[in-house]
Amino acid sequence: MKKERSKKYRAIQAIRIFTQFFFFGLFFYLLLMTRFPGEDYIKRVEIFFHFDPLLALVTFISSRTVYILFLPAVLTIVVTFFLGRVACGWVCPMGSIQQFFSFVFKKTKLHRPKKLEDNHTVWKYYLLIFILMSSLFTLDLVGIFDPFSFLYRSFVVSVMPALSYSVSSFIGVIYGLNLLTIGDVLVQFFENLDINAIFLQGLLIGMIFVGIILLNLSRERFWCRYICPLGALLGVISRWNVLKLKIDTEKCIDCNLCSLQCQMQADPYPNEKWKSSECDYCFTCSAICPTNAISFPGKAAPESIESIDLSRRKVVLTSLLGILAIPFFRISPARSRASEKLIRPPGALPEEKFLQKCVKCGECMKVCPTNALQPTMTEAGPEGLWTPMLVMKIGYCEYYCSLCTQVCPTGAIQELTIPQKNNLKIGTAWVDQTRCIPLKFGNPCIVCEEHCPVSPKAIKFITVNVEQPDGSIKSAQAPVVDMATCTGCGICENKCPVVDAPAIYVTSVGETRSERNQVLLDIFQSEEDPYGREK
Amino acid sequence: MKRRDFLKDIAIGSLLLNIHPKVFAQGTGSPDVALIQGDSPSLITKEAITALGGMQRFVSKGDKVIVKPNIGWDRTPEQAACTNPEIVKTLVELCFDAGAKEVKVMDNPCNPARRTYVRSGIQKAAKSAGAKVPLPNKHHLKKIPIHGDSLKEWEIYTDFVETDKIINVPIAKTHSLTRLTLGMKNWLGAIGGNRNQLHQNIDLAIIDLAAFFKPVLTVMDGYRILLRNGPQGGRLSDVKLHKTVAAGVDYVALDAVGASFFDIKPEELRFLQIAKEKGRGEIDLEKLTIEKRTI
Repeated sequence: MKKERSKKYRAIQAIRIFTQFFFFGLFFYLLLMTRFPGEDYIKRVEIFFHFDPLLALVTFISSRTVYILFLPAVLTIVVTFFLGRVACGWVCPMGSIQQFFSFVFKKTKLHRPKKLEDNHTVWKYYLLIFILMSSLFTLDLVGIFDPFSFLYRSFVVSVMPALSYSVSSFIGVIYGLNLLTIGDVLVQFFENLDINAIFLQGLLIGMIFVGIILLNLSRERFWCRYICPLGALLGVISRWNVLKLKIDTEKCIDCNLCSLQCQMQADPYPNEKWKSSECDYCFTCSAICPTNAISFPGKAAPESIESIDLSRRKVVLTSLLGILAIPFFRISPARSRASEKLIRPPGALPEEKFLQKCVKCGECMKVCPTNALQPTMTEAGPEGLWTPMLVMKIGYCEYYCSLCTQVCPTGAIQELTIPQKNNLKIGTAWVDQTRCIPLKFGNPCIVCEEHCPVSPKAIKFITVNVEQPDGSIKSAQAPVVDMATCTGCGICENKCPVVDAPAIYVTSVGETRSERNQVLLDIFQSEEDPYGREK
Repeated sequence: MKRRDFLKDIAIGSLLLNIHPKVFAQGTGSPDVALIQGDSPSLITKEAITALGGMQRFVSKGDKVIVKPNIGWDRTPEQAACTNPEIVKTLVELCFDAGAKEVKVMDNPCNPARRTYVRSGIQKAAKSAGAKVPLPNKHHLKKIPIHGDSLKEWEIYTDFVETDKIINVPIAKTHSLTRLTLGMKNWLGAIGGNRNQLHQNIDLAIIDLAAFFKPVLTVMDGYRILLRNGPQGGRLSDVKLHKTVAAGVDYVALDAVGASFFDIKPEELRFLQIAKEKGRGEIDLEKLTIEKRTI
């Protein structure tokens, strides 16, 4: 029999692949641009997140506030309502990555598509229900599973640092080969990209990312089919769309190739089994059909559409689980008493509100010019996993910088101007008397005072006379922190010459955003409280 | 001064050199320090260099020159934590006019270089004059013998070694440890390693570093000086508009002159006292020929 594939759908497929590359490129470009732009205020590099209706919905539910910047998500909803999950197949960079690797695994015969009878595509709906139910009671877990957050975080914390490390080694080889000019050009190029290269949990988050990609060995687009809660949400919205698959039964030879090659397990064959809510409109089925039998006429729906096959009992069970999970996430000490290590970025909302909004995307960690922002592990309790904190041994909070407050897609870190930012404290510095060079040995140092960016300086001096073993006395200037003016920026800790455990260090106490995590009696340092509280 | 006039001057200057090769070397015509006051940072810099005999005295045709300003902090020129960008730009122009093949401007700052280079205004200014303004490149760091009395060796950016001429352009500021940070302390920005450890013996360290780098010319930026909360200040009230540039060959003398901006006697600064004892330069302002002018 003569093969007669559809030229039209093969062309559409080619356009779709191009579009996927384009949007992934855009995603990556915006990621690279999320760095100090050479001026104080950065453009909307986090725009991708604002097209994500899942983040918009969950942030709205868990924090009970409307964030106007999420307006573009309405567009995604409208498009999905009329055209189905085209966003999954044509736009989503996470989907594109999954599909890219699925393609590679199929081409290399590492994955051979099998005929599937199971109904595992419903998992993601249960996950969505779980996330929505827990957000109803202010527990915001969406960031762990939201595809944009997942991808962005994996890139920022793991993929880019690994790339940066490799590039650095490569450049080392270039210099080793005495290709100095090439080396210099490469170094200047990559220095200007300002890639934060050091991350706690880089390995863990990287392993999860690689794990998700390797799942494509077992099923094509594993993440999109079974896990993605955004896909589930769009699936629910898409069921009334007008782009419906139609098989011409005259032409169909029942080869089942379409169902076998379907990226999304949407079961195009037989026609009445096709799951509109699973289809991502990649048009693979219509493009590979050997008899050109499949089309998407874009008219009214066929008679019967397989509805999402959720069992009512399981829906109830998942909902209950979503609610029951909440206390378990909150029985950590993080909620009753602040962790000294949990130094949140400036502008971070009070902890409870912050956790309701933070989606753990890593935008702030990418833009931080000193690499100080790191994903938490246990510091913020289980519900705060992978939220941002400053680790001063890695970086510090740059004085004339409020970039993290500008790129936060959900407003968990509220946007601040630089004067506003310099008006608040993220923590307080403490001197370790047992390790400070002048205090312990009577030798000069004062590196901390030199770097203190506030004027007048928050590090002042006392003269200390330190008795030496031979009985003589050495005097030196030793640092004392002025708790009222110290902003907790941590440059003192970062630059302290006692490198392993700095002799001056910052803890979260005194942070403006908290009413309880305080030492001084009067917590409001300035007339205008950035959090809008009454004095 | 127009470029053409300048070239003419160079031509005449080189003729003079041919006739009396030792005129400039003996220093009969040029003072130890040129101390110029005026409203324009660029004009007073030019005037100071002219008073010393012109840039061609320091930079020869085809030279690779590195200009070392202080770009240490994420601060604007008005905050006087970094060298004035116009002064840096003027020096770059003068180097090119004197026939330099390449002029590089760089520093290893305390805050991230991408930020300090921008906010200080130096990157833009120096680039507009044709200089290369590379970010510090860790692959250029090399442990190099300093042969100092306190520093035997240290990690140095080879940019400052693999060059024909070095020009130091510090800004005069207060500092809690050395009291003032001037030209000699500026060399902490040319090195890598755990440089914050040097503070435990800072006076000897900067003397060793200054002797190692041996700039052919030091230009002290006193246009705005930082009176308080040095070395980075922050408030405009920390800054004094002093409108002065001092230039000369003897880097110790230049630091002594810099101290006078703050009405501090050079011998009060320990590092200057020691530098004098080691014979590295003159700190007695009376013994120096200082050409002082206001334009």
